[in-house]
Amino acid sequence: MKQKPRVAVFDFADCEGCELEIANLEEEILDLIEIVDIVSFREVMKEHSDTYDIAIVEGSIMRPMDERRLRSIRSKAKILVALGACATIGGVNKIRNQWMPDEVLHEVYGNADVKGNELFDVFKTKALKEVVPVDYYIHGCPIDRDEFKHVITALVLGKKPEIPTYPVCVECKKNENICQFELGKFCLGPITRAGCKAICPTHNSTCEGCRGLIKKAEADCVKEVLERYKLSYEDIRRRCTMYNYGREECSVDE
Amino acid sequence: MKQAVKIITKKDFLTLVNTLLQNKTYDVVGVKAKGKRYVFDTLNDADELSLDYDVTILPPKKYFLPQYEQLMKFSLEKPFEVKETIDDQPRIIIGVHPYDIIALQQTDTQYLDPPKDDFYKKRRDNTIIIGVDIQNVSERSFAGSMKTHMTETGFDLLLTDLGATYAVTVGTEKGSTLLKKYATTKDATSAEIKKIKDVRDNIAKKYTKKVKVDKKDWSSILVANYANSFWEERSDFCMECSSCTIVCPTCFCYDVHDEVSLNLKNGQRIRTWDGCMLRGFTKVGSGEVFREEPKERYRHRFYRKGNYLPERFGFVACVGCGRCGIACLPDIADPCDVMNELASFGHEEDTGRFFIKQKTDAAEKGIIHIPRSATIKRAEVRSEIDTLFEIELDDKKPLGHAAGQFVEVSVFGYGEAPFGVSSPPSDTPSFEIMVRKVGNVTSKLVSMKPGDKVGIRGPLGNGFDVKALEGKNIIFTSGGTGMVPMRSLINYVLDKKNRGKFKEITILYGAKRPKEILFMSDVDQWKKVEHVQCELTVDKCDANECWGGCIGVITTLFPKVRMDKFDSQNTIVVVIGPPVMYKFVIQCLRTMGIPEENIIVSLERRMKCGVGKCGHCQINGVYVCKEGPVFNYKEIKALPEAFE
Ligand SMILES: Cc1cc2nc3c(=O)[nH]c(=O)nc-3n(C[C@H](O)[C@H](O)[C@H](O)COP(=O)(O)OP(=O)(O)OC[C@H]3O[C@@H](n4cnc5c(N)ncnc54)[C@H](O)[C@@H]3O)c2cc1C
Ligand code: SF4
Ligand code: SF4
Ligand code: SF4
Ligand code: SF4
Ligand code: SF4
Ligand code: FES
Repeated sequence: MKQKPRVAVFDFADCEGCELEIANLEEEILDLIEIVDIVSFREVMKEHSDTYDIAIVEGSIMRPMDERRLRSIRSKAKILVALGACATIGGVNKIRNQWMPDEVLHEVYGNADVKGNELFDVFKTKALKEVVPVDYYIHGCPIDRDEFKHVITALVLGKKPEIPTYPVCVECKKNENICQFELGKFCLGPITRAGCKAICPTHNSTCEGCRGLIKKAEADCVKEVLERYKLSYEDIRRRCTMYNYGREECSVDE
Repeated sequence: MKQAVKIITKKDFLTLVNTLLQNKTYDVVGVKAKGKRYVFDTLNDADELSLDYDVTILPPKKYFLPQYEQLMKFSLEKPFEVKETIDDQPRIIIGVHPYDIIALQQTDTQYLDPPKDDFYKKRRDNTIIIGVDIQNVSERSFAGSMKTHMTETGFDLLLTDLGATYAVTVGTEKGSTLLKKYATTKDATSAEIKKIKDVRDNIAKKYTKKVKVDKKDWSSILVANYANSFWEERSDFCMECSSCTIVCPTCFCYDVHDEVSLNLKNGQRIRTWDGCMLRGFTKVGSGEVFREEPKERYRHRFYRKGNYLPERFGFVACVGCGRCGIACLPDIADPCDVMNELASFGHEEDTGRFFIKQKTDAAEKGIIHIPRSATIKRAEVRSEIDTLFEIELDDKKPLGHAAGQFVEVSVFGYGEAPFGVSSPPSDTPSFEIMVRKVGNVTSKLVSMKPGDKVGIRGPLGNGFDVKALEGKNIIFTSGGTGMVPMRSLINYVLDKKNRGKFKEITILYGAKRPKEILFMSDVDQWKKVEHVQCELTVDKCDANECWGGCIGVITTLFPKVRMDKFDSQNTIVVVIGPPVMYKFVIQCLRTMGIPEENIIVSLERRMKCGVGKCGHCQINGVYVCKEGPVFNYKEIKALPEAFE
């Protein structure tokens, strides 16, 4: 067999939940290391190498020092994959973009003097693509393990991974769920990218949009549905804050 | 035929169901409550049955066309090890409403139309359907006005609630055997038989939602309103969630993809539900989407139900269940509302038909799923992105294709893609295809070497009618990869054995740039043949490329055609190229005085099955894979979408 691709996993501001999903592949980890060499993965191993083909990067970019580190990773990797909502869209870390970085620091650390300390030198939260070009995205908070396997095998085989560009409702309807709207609740499924097997509505809670928006929350069709269900634009703005502050529509290939 | 009607007490019926459950031969499925809605699901106990339901969330099609269906398993390590995985689990479905039974009969027509789908057929044969007459009407259903609230065929047994008992109409031998084996019944009296009719008449009266347009008029109303701004106005509200196709009992389009195990040792080919409301449904490798506008997708769904399938098979492909109305959040998907609204616009009687169906003898022989094993004999890199392959079928039988037909090539783990056959018809087991690298399957193919295995389905589609070309002057006009199938035809026509049958030959060929010219050695040969004019052009040419010829789009070659030498009425023009090319070429040809019926085109659309099942390649109601890809321009030009 030809040389296995070398894979490194990195994290920035996040809860490491997505990395944990990979670590939790359990016995399948053996299959994984049969097709790739994992050369760096802080959460599960001590060794580290700076030579890799594929960088899998989790977390959001919060500080100039993060930005420098991400650029360095990008320059070494042939393929850069964003892992999890924090990395793909900024996710929950963007909630704080509602306030100015100074206000946030003050709120969290009070009057403690953090000036000049690089670790506390924060700017507005960015997703990876706002700093460097990203080749592929593994969406979700946390990611879906099957989708992770799909992306990895595709990259090893030299294929472009197929990531859904349609809304969560598609998977939700296939699961034969009763629509959350029918139950009087407000679900972001119609404007959120599928791929999670509609796990939230399938377990009877609403979709919060963790895989990113595929349609602008401002689109006519969204307004129409909001009106029909007696919801307002303010409602959708509030709801999108959790993962999609800024409410930017993702481009189709992401 | 007079159907036997039996009477069974409700208690005895439940005992029958429990006996079947204990027996374990069958997967026993029935209608159960799920919150305030209902679903078809595997039963654990007869008491779970809710036969007085109004409508289920999904129709029973999920048992015949599963959402996620393994078609075959393959090995990625062994050269060609493919195993078909037909599901043969016997099943009984209890509680199917008449409209869903009618929908299944429609699906039969589509899936059992040649070539039949063996996977579907097996499930159909292995399933016993116990229908039930409707007891509660769903608020959104308009089955009453569609006359689909009752049926006399399509079930093995059909229950009608008569209070303490069910009347059981016996539809088939299978149903009769089941009843005799597991239940005690008595014959229905004529009073009881009359009661069945009363129950049905009563239920028909309960529908408050009614479609005002008779089924036979859906088609003409739709045709008359094709250009209505209605479609655009409504589709502005479409979330593109495809819920309307997913929940519909008569929607049966699908997609197929390959999945591989994490260790890359083996994989499986999976069929899943797809739907025309999704943008990706008509997307091809180049990035082009054939129904790009939401209004085109939105409109397509209604025409498929009310015009295309009625013209093809004779039935309106909506049974009035109302599921799409419930499922669509902006509430724009309900055919009853849409037809009633369209009817209010008024229309002229019988404004003609869009639908054309060509002869499909060749296409009907196609195989749907399992490809034949074949070996790459020769791989010649022709440009940075094009590789020519000679492929030999391992059973050593000739492919038996006509010029213009195509094959579906499988690369296991990557998928399946259609390619025109570029070699002329022959008796040898090998044939040629030219592959241009665009996406997953093609990128893998161009990296493959002699000795590697691929799967082949085909030949598929209708090729050129070469008889019709005899005695004529022929102008071959190709752009880009359009030269691939064209080369098959040109080499057939120029073959010494056949050359005498044709008159003046003109070959016009345009490529993007010099290095993308396919078959240069063939071109050199053609230039040497007497009575053949061969002209090439490229769109552009980089400074470092050597090109002494013409620069410009294909139409710049037309003034060079020595039309003075021959009669345009006796000239056939064959046009194959990228979608954008047709409009301009055809305009030119018309000004040159070529009659419409003398123009032959070969069209490209997104394809998956290649045999008229999966729905991807449709231009309005025409399956390009099955009725095409070769068409007579005059026949297809009236079809909106064909050359837009
Ligand atoms: C009748 C016909 C003849 C063709 N002949 C040739 C040929 O001789 N040489 C050549 O290089 N190409 C030909 N094509 C185009 C070729 O089929 C596509 O380039 C190919 O399907 C792309 O597959 P992919 O997996 O590499 O791309 P992806 O973008 O990954 O496509 C995924 C799937 O979508 C479908 N698809 C994508 N693009 C097309 C397309 N253009 N047409 C139909 N289905 C598509 C296929 O099922 C494919 O597997 C032909 C297409 C048709 C319809
Ligand atoms: S995406 Fe979600 S699960 Fe993943 S690291 Fe970020 S917060 Fe955690
Ligand atoms: S529950 Fe949410 S995801 Fe599911 S169909 Fe309703 S809106 Fe869509
Ligand atoms: S349903 Fe919505 S919130 Fe839940 S995992 Fe999927 S995309 Fe995320
Ligand atoms: S189009 Fe709507 S009403 Fe008609 S059969 Fe399909 S889901 Fe039912
Ligand atoms: S269900 Fe409604 S919103 Fe969704 S695709 Fe169909 S028409 Fe559009
Ligand atoms: S219907 Fe499937 S490709 Fe034509």
